Amino acid sequence: MITRGLRWLQGIVGRLTGRAEPGDPEAARELFQTRYHALRLLLAANTKALDLMAAMERAAGGGFTIGMPFVRSHCTAVGVSVYQMVRHLDTLAPDRYTSLFERLEDIQHTIDHELATLPVPSDAPLVLPLTEVDSHHIDAAGPKMANLGEVANVVGMSVPKGFVITTAAHERLITANDLQPEIDRLLQAHQTEELDELFALSSNLQSLIMSADVPREIAAAIDAASARVASSPAEITYALRSSALGEDSAQASFAGQYQSLLNVRSEHLIESYLEVVASKYTPQAMHYRLQRGLRDEDVAMSVGCLEMIDARSGGVAYTGNPGDREDRNIYLSSTWGLPKAIVDGRFASDLLIVERAEPPQISDRQIGDKRTRFVLDPVEGVQRAEVPHDLHHRPSLSDEEAIGIAELALRLESHFKTPVDLEWAITTDGKVVILQCRPLAQSSAVARRPLPAGAPPPLVTGGVNASPGAATGSIHRVGRDSDALTCPEGAVLVLEQPLPRWAALLGRTAAVVAEEGGIAGHLATVARELGVPAILGAGLLDALEDGLEVTVDATGRAVYPGRIESLLRISDQERPAAVDTPVQQALRKVLRHIAPLNLLDPDGIEFKPASCRTLHDITRFCHEQAVREIFAFGTETEFPEYASKQLHHNVPMQWWVLDLGGGFKQPVSGKYVRLEDIACKPMLALWDGMVAVPWDGPPAVTGRGFASILFEATANPALATPFRKPYADRNYFIISEHFINLQSRFGFHFTNVEALAGLRPEENYLSFSFKGGAADHERKAARARFIGDLLADLRFAVKVTEDVVTARRTGLDHQDVEQSLRVVGYLLMHTRQLDMIMNEPTAVEHYRSKMVADIQSLSRN
Amino acid sequence: MAISVLLVDDEENFVATLAKRLTLRRFDVFTATRADPAFAALSENPIDVVLLDVRMPDLDGIEATKEIKASHPLVEVILLTGHASMEASLEGMRMGAFDYLLKPVNIDELVYKIEDAHRKKELQEEKIRRLAEKADEDSNAE
Repeated sequence: MITRGLRWLQGIVGRLTGRAEPGDPEAARELFQTRYHALRLLLAANTKALDLMAAMERAAGGGFTIGMPFVRSHCTAVGVSVYQMVRHLDTLAPDRYTSLFERLEDIQHTIDHELATLPVPSDAPLVLPLTEVDSHHIDAAGPKMANLGEVANVVGMSVPKGFVITTAAHERLITANDLQPEIDRLLQAHQTEELDELFALSSNLQSLIMSADVPREIAAAIDAASARVASSPAEITYALRSSALGEDSAQASFAGQYQSLLNVRSEHLIESYLEVVASKYTPQAMHYRLQRGLRDEDVAMSVGCLEMIDARSGGVAYTGNPGDREDRNIYLSSTWGLPKAIVDGRFASDLLIVERAEPPQISDRQIGDKRTRFVLDPVEGVQRAEVPHDLHHRPSLSDEEAIGIAELALRLESHFKTPVDLEWAITTDGKVVILQCRPLAQSSAVARRPLPAGAPPPLVTGGVNASPGAATGSIHRVGRDSDALTCPEGAVLVLEQPLPRWAALLGRTAAVVAEEGGIAGHLATVARELGVPAILGAGLLDALEDGLEVTVDATGRAVYPGRIESLLRISDQERPAAVDTPVQQALRKVLRHIAPLNLLDPDGIEFKPASCRTLHDITRFCHEQAVREIFAFGTETEFPEYASKQLHHNVPMQWWVLDLGGGFKQPVSGKYVRLEDIACKPMLALWDGMVAVPWDGPPAVTGRGFASILFEATANPALATPFRKPYADRNYFIISEHFINLQSRFGFHFTNVEALAGLRPEENYLSFSFKGGAADHERKAARARFIGDLLADLRFAVKVTEDVVTARRTGLDHQDVEQSLRVVGYLLMHTRQLDMIMNEPTAVEHYRSKMVADIQSLSRN
Repeated sequence: MAISVLLVDDEENFVATLAKRLTLRRFDVFTATRADPAFAALSENPIDVVLLDVRMPDLDGIEATKEIKASHPLVEVILLTGHASMEASLEGMRMGAFDYLLKPVNIDELVYKIEDAHRKKELQEEKIRRLAEKADEDSNAE
């Protein structure tokens, strides 16, 4: 019995969208309500789809940072909205447009294909000995280890012994533990722009990876490789270094964003490997990828396992000045012990500047007060140790050693054909070993500026220009992680130590000032890549109090109180151009199937489902057909209550009104409806604007202009009466209590106004499109631009393509929609025939001033 | 009468937070974090709208949508997911889901969707009521 009842119910539900039985007003009313509900949902889906497309187009053009979760979620959301439109159109016109479902599916498959990631070949080795690696192995070994292999095996320099756990092993680790779906889910479900969410997400993702099982074949390959490096495991310890795809390019160095583990015993290689892989999701690495527009799924992590070098001295060498591309000296930063003290950027070090000459010459020497160094812990890891007193002011590098390292650096520059950034160590027996070599990121040359005239005395001067430029903001001092969470957008970050982990804040930071550090630290590298001005090693910063507004001039190495406009203007010109990121490239690829609009002419023969080539085409088709279908329902159904009425008003044009429900104050019988009977506030607002200012009549046209109108009228078949669709001959309002759609044709002008002004501001919108005219194409286009400019000034989002102007406003409360409708109503009446005078600048200016004044007066009223 | 919503998701924190927020918006909220209690709640309570996680350890949300629409055709299902996938979303819609929303969910948008889904259900119920009355009248006339 229950089953029978259910089947009956399912049958009914299946037929709910069918036609009304003739002569059954109750059924017609219900059907009308169902269709009206479908139309309302279709319009809401249309608004959402268009908003999503606009957001995607903005993101593709640069300006704000996006990751692949943005691309995937926007593609999905726009696909869902378009599907809903097709389904609601099917409710409005059952079975008439079913082929749209197929078109949508085809486009969806194409987009999915564009979004697919190339798989890593399953037969790639899990581990590669470093002796077999060179720059051809970037995909398997990652750029950092591929470069190091090249340095050793092609250039022939000394590097530590070791092996690489490849990207294929990473892929196997992720697949075997089925981690990717959970990673994707976590990434999408968190808003990574919010710092507290970013930290929580990072912790979840890192735990997920740390708790994964390393597949047996990877563990076996690591053991075997380790056994080849040293016959007895006790002989050596390892440095584990990340070598992720996308890392170590001049545009994206990822300096210090991933974990390096030093002095790891061979029996701990497996868990240390997991730890380095998990560091793909440190807050700073995730933030860095987001800032640089790198795809999460493109960052496969390989890990270099290198023999740990017990360094007497260590440091970095640049074959150029990172802050000035024109300066080709070699910059050597050096300290006692492991180079970690330099790249962490927190301790005093020596800086030697070496001129390119035969042989290279030391031209400047700044010997730091080196009190702390990093040394190997006897058990595992590294520890901070005090530097013996007599070494504090002694150079950590002899002149011969410095020149030797400079020569190695120049050889590498010559080999890689680009300035390089290398990390080196000198062993306890005086041998130089290269630990890392990557392209040097350099900023454009910036001249040292004199202090600006009339500027207040600086609060701070000195330090190094670690990333050039100037910026203003309020000071936010950061010492602990909890300070980072409260860092406001656009703050000037003031630090004691420029630790790599503060890189997670750089995307929201105007500038950085730190008491310690130099140009060689990781934070300095990331600041240069992101174009954030930075002064490091500035000494005590007590004058920089929390909340104080300052202007940081990194180029001039000074911090001024307040906002110094002259510095900011110069800095704007120095800012690097936006980089085209992989995520933006992926977004643009999918946008080709989403955003272009090909279905332009609803009366054209190509206006059909088969011609929809993009999701935008489908939305356009659904929207147009839905409006036609709902109108057809009102006129075709024998049900006078809902049939259209002619507006009884003292105007020369014919206006017809179709009420979808709630648009009339009470049921209206007969053929006519009066304005007093209209309850639809958006319609009344539009009408107010249309009649607020009497029209002066058409502008005076010169003889040439009139000839052109005659030509247009004969050459354009769409303008000739026999080709017009019946519904296009009149002006139609489709209304409900909060909704209006006006389709009108004033002579040669085609207009569509649509607005929803209900109680949900998030769903409210006003869209306006205007096309046509009788003058030549140039003047019609000029008129479209004229209208577009007026609307843009009124904060509409405007798009002008040839003679078509479309404009939208969204997210307004209903009073604001109604006010905007008054302006649109005014423009509808007063821009008619203006195309004819668009080649007469004086007349154009006259009309522009008059309209601006009229619109202001409309707003006041 | 308040709209009754069944929230099904294996993330307990998410369920607790969202249930609280929906209750504040005057919905009757039922919750489940596993498949069996979810179907039990659906049979035992007058549910209007189901909010269903697409991927749960013991439940495939898309299959579940199909099952719910087969056994409770008037109940509307809104799918929620952390997995953005065009293919899965369209499959869910084909199975009869009213909508497919991506986490993190905007609460205002979710409320509108629930109200819209409920309105659709009301329209269908009105139609069924009228058809049932008509059927009664026809049989009385015979």
